[in-house]
Amino acid sequence: MKAGPSQEEIRQHNLGALLRHVHLGGPTSRADLATRMGLNRSTILALVNDLTAAGLVREELPQVTGRAGRPSLVVRPVATRAHVLALDVGVERLTAALIGLGGVFLDRRECAWSPERPQDPAEVADILAEYADDVLSAAPAGGSCVGVAVAVRGIVRHPDGLVSLTPNMGWKDVDLAAELSGRLHLDVPVPVLVANEANLGALAEHRRGGGRGSQNLIYLHGEIGIGAGIVVDGELLRGGRGYAGEIGHITVNPHRGRPCGCGAHGCLEAEAGERALLEAAGRDPRVTGAGAVRAVVTAADLGDVTARAALHRVGDWLGIGIGTLANLFNPDLIVFGGTLRDVYLGSAAQVRSRVNTSALFACREHLRLRVSELGGDAILIGAAELAFSELLARPLETLSPHAEEGAPIPRGSRRGQLAVNPLPLEPADHGNDPGHGPGVRAGLGLDR
Amino acid sequence: MTRTPILELRGIDKSFGAVQVLHDVALSAYAGEVTALVGDNGAGKSTLVKCIGGIHPIDAGDYLFEGRPVQVHSPRDAAELGVEIVYQDLALCDNLDIVQNMFLGREKRRGAFLDDSTMEEMAAATLKGLSVRTVKSLRQKVSSLSGGQRQTVAIAKAVLWNSKLVILDEPTAALGVAQTAQVLELVRRLADNGLAVVLISHNMNDVFAVSDRIAALYLGRMAAQVTTSDVTHAQVVELITSGRSGDLGLTTTANGAAA
Repeated sequence: MKAGPSQEEIRQHNLGALLRHVHLGGPTSRADLATRMGLNRSTILALVNDLTAAGLVREELPQVTGRAGRPSLVVRPVATRAHVLALDVGVERLTAALIGLGGVFLDRRECAWSPERPQDPAEVADILAEYADDVLSAAPAGGSCVGVAVAVRGIVRHPDGLVSLTPNMGWKDVDLAAELSGRLHLDVPVPVLVANEANLGALAEHRRGGGRGSQNLIYLHGEIGIGAGIVVDGELLRGGRGYAGEIGHITVNPHRGRPCGCGAHGCLEAEAGERALLEAAGRDPRVTGAGAVRAVVTAADLGDVTARAALHRVGDWLGIGIGTLANLFNPDLIVFGGTLRDVYLGSAAQVRSRVNTSALFACREHLRLRVSELGGDAILIGAAELAFSELLARPLETLSPHAEEGAPIPRGSRRGQLAVNPLPLEPADHGNDPGHGPGVRAGLGLDR
Repeated sequence: MTRTPILELRGIDKSFGAVQVLHDVALSAYAGEVTALVGDNGAGKSTLVKCIGGIHPIDAGDYLFEGRPVQVHSPRDAAELGVEIVYQDLALCDNLDIVQNMFLGREKRRGAFLDDSTMEEMAAATLKGLSVRTVKSLRQKVSSLSGGQRQTVAIAKAVLWNSKLVILDEPTAALGVAQTAQVLELVRRLADNGLAVVLISHNMNDVFAVSDRIAALYLGRMAAQVTTSDVTHAQVVELITSGRSGDLGLTTTANGAAA
C-alpha cells in the first residue's frame, strides 16, 4: 500500500488530463484549461511547455478574437506528432485509418468485401496489415504510431481481447490481435487492442458525438445484427467477461418468432435486423447492407405500401427492444448507428410509440432518441479513442520509446498539484505495467 | 414545467373577412426543444406561423415573448425579437452566392462598402456551429446547391442573427432520404444549441424523430399540446383528423364551443 501518488505520477496524470482536454475539446486557451482542470496558471504553463517540447501540442494565436486586448494563446493538439491506427473489420468493408491526435483523419484505405471474401482470420489480417503499412508509410514525417485498435463485429473477451465469436464470419476463439501484431511493421511495437464495434461506437459518441455531456447512453449499431454499447455513469458496461450489450439477442418474440443466427427464436435482431426488414419489404434478404436498407426507406418515403409496412413492423420490434433498455438502464440518450440510422428515421413514429407504451413513464420521460452524429465513421473514431488511451494516460512515457524519431522528450518541471475534475472515461490502469514491449494487450482497457 | 417558454401564445383569434381561421389558439415553444406543429391541410398552421412572424396581425389574444407581452405588427418587429421563419420556398436568390444570400437585405458595411470578409467569417462560423460539412465553398452560387444544401443555407441564414425562435415550414418536404436525415439532424442541433424550434411537418416519422413536444391543430383550434415521450403515433393521427383522442384533445367537436 502506497502512501499516495508521487510527484512524478501526479505530473504524468496532469499531463494526460491536459492532453485529453485539447484532444477532445480542440484548441483551448490556457486560461480555460486552468479553470476546467482546477490547476493554477503556472502549473498549466509548465504542463503546456512539457507537451510542447514533446511536440504533442502547439500554442498559437486564436483565429478570431472579436474582443479587445491581447488575445490569449490557445493550446492546439498537433495531429502529425502522434497518431494511431484504427482498423475496422466491417460487414461490408475492411478499413484502415490513420488518425492523428485531436481525432483528425490523416489517411484511410478501404476495400469492399466481395461475396467470396476471405473468411480466414489470417487473410483478413493480411489485408489489414497491408493497408496499415500503406497509411503508415505515407504518414507525416516526425510522427509516431502510439496505438493500434481493431473493431470486430462479434463478442470479444475481456481482458485478453480474444474474439470469441463473430456470427457473420464464423470465427470462433480467434486471436486477431496476435495475427495482426505479427504482421504490422511498426518502428516501435505497440499493443494491438481488439474491441466490439458497438462498444467502440458508444465510446465515440460519448466522447466526440451526440453523447458528449451524457453519462448514461446506449449506442445501437445495426448491420446484419444489432449490437449495443452501454455507457452507465460515464463508464462502458463490460460485464464479467466483456460480453455485455448483446441486445440483438434478447428474446422479444419467443413463440412465433423468426429463427436467429444464434440458434434461438425471436431474438431482437431476427425480428428487427436487416434481413427481417428486407424480407418483409419483399426484397432479397441475401443482399444486405446500407444500400439495400436505404432503398427500402426511400421506397417507403415515395409511397411503397409494402416497404412502409415493413418499416412499421421493424420499428415496432425495435421499440420493444428499446423499451426494455429504457426500463433496465434508464439512459438519457439512445443513439442509432450503422443502418439503424436510416431504419430509425424511416420508422421513428413506430419506435417512439412503442417505447411510450412499453417503458415506464419515469424511465422514458427524459429519454432522447437520436441518430449518430458521427455517421459511418463512428466505429473508426471509437477505435482511435481506444488506441489513444495509453498516450492520454501517460503522454511522455508512452512517447519516450519513440523519442529518436521525433522531438526529444523533456524531463522538465515537476508540480505537486493534482488536477481536479478529470474527464469522464479516464483511462488509468495505474496498477499496470505500461507495457511498451512487443506484447499484446487487448480489450477495452479504458473505462475507468 | 415551471420554465418560461420563449414564445407563448394565448387565445389567438384570426379572421380573414367572414372566415375565422384561428379560434382561441394557444402555443408554447421552449428553448432547447423542438415543438412540432401538426395538422391537416387547412387546419391553420401556416396562418398561425404568419401571425407569429408578424405578416398577419392577430385579431385577439396574447403574444408573449420570453414572458413579456409584445406587439408584433411586421416581420421586422418579429426579427427584432429574435424570431426567424424558414418558409417552404426558402426565399433564396439563385444568382447570389451563399454569403450574399445569408446577409441579403442585412449586409454588413464598412463605411460605404460592403464588409465581405466579416460577412464571410460570420457565415463560416455559423455553418461551423451547426456542424455543416456538406457545403464546399461559401462563394458557391445557390443555383448549384442540392435541395438539402439549400435548406441548410436557409436554416443557417435564420440562425445567423442571434435568433431565439426558429420556425421551419416543412423543411423536409421534397427531399430524398439522405438529405432529409441531414436536415433533421440540423433541426435537432438548433434546439441542442439552445434555440426554441417550431417544426411544421406532415411526416410523422420526422415529427417523432426530432420533436420534444407535439402541438396538433384541428380546424383552427389547438386540439392538444403533448410531450413526444407521452403519445403514440395513433393518438397524434387521431388528434389531427378528429381533434381528439381519448382524454386528449378538444372536449366538443369543432361545430360547438372550443375546449
